[in-house]
Amino acid sequence: MSEYAFRKINIDALEEDVLLPSDLYDPDPRGPDGVLSDAQRKAGEVRNLVSRGDIPGALNAILSEPPYGDGVDEAKDLTTSSLLLILNSTRASEIPTILKSLGQEQQDHLMAYIYKGMAAIGQGSDVSGSVLLNWHAQLTEVAGVGCIVRVMADRRTL
Amino acid sequence: MSNTLRPYLNAVRATLTAALTLENFSSQVVERHNKPEVEVRTSPEVLLKPLIVSRNESERVLIEPSVNSIRLSISIKQADEIEKILCHKFTRFMMMRAEGFVILRRKPLPGYDISFLITNFHSESMLKHKLVDFIIQFMEDVDKEISEMKLSLNARARIVAESYLSTFA
Repeated sequence: MSEYAFRKINIDALEEDVLLPSDLYDPDPRGPDGVLSDAQRKAGEVRNLVSRGDIPGALNAILSEPPYGDGVDEAKDLTTSSLLLILNSTRASEIPTILKSLGQEQQDHLMAYIYKGMAAIGQGSDVSGSVLLNWHAQLTEVAGVGCIVRVMADRRTL
Repeated sequence: MSNTLRPYLNAVRATLTAALTLENFSSQVVERHNKPEVEVRTSPEVLLKPLIVSRNESERVLIEPSVNSIRLSISIKQADEIEKILCHKFTRFMMMRAEGFVILRRKPLPGYDISFLITNFHSESMLKHKLVDFIIQFMEDVDKEISEMKLSLNARARIVAESYLSTFA
């Protein structure tokens, strides 16, 4: 049996021009440490802004240059939890005006975080599904289906 | 449709509409083959990011898009043992007849109750919005169906128990 084992080797993976998942996007120029310190600074900023009731400012801050890629899990967790804090502490009637004030890139990032929050619902996250679904519906209304397509096609996992 | 279910189904509908942009795409690994890329997973560049839409821990939908096919897996609400059994029987009944449903997958993904596989050939021969409507309709009906079956099962159990125990009265 063992003399046939070589047939199971994936020879395409040993080729020179093999495409790795890491080739599909450019890594963050800030480096893991820079990203982490950035995320910590932003998390503090967001807490301040939310306590003052400035939700649009907080969303703007957290959604510009979010951490992405491999090896920055701590920064990602920090950003996700502060974003979910913002989403939880927003009144439903304010959502459309807030969403309209965001740029297209920020809307795409927000959509990505909404999906991330929904994926985490089964695993001990404290945000409720109805809040996220409400944000999702409002954002789809403002940004359209193209926003979801951009989230799917984006290789940089937030 | 109840009011709490609607936002969930709307989110699934929007995500599914976005994911259903499929084109014919031959395999890059095997010549003259055309396979659903989301199933064979041989080329990472044609697989897109999988998205999860969920309402609570037990009800969620996983949508995995790729260039020529999407896979949609549904986890159906199962509150107690009876619903678990009914759901298992119901989905198994349909998956054994998967050819009749065209887009149904014969096996669900681990952790989910039922899966659909839509390829570009399906979206070419069928209308896209009707496909989306079908999936949404299915999700709407399956909850209703299972709770109806549960009610009739309980009613029947009660009648059986009554007629059986009446002989001892």
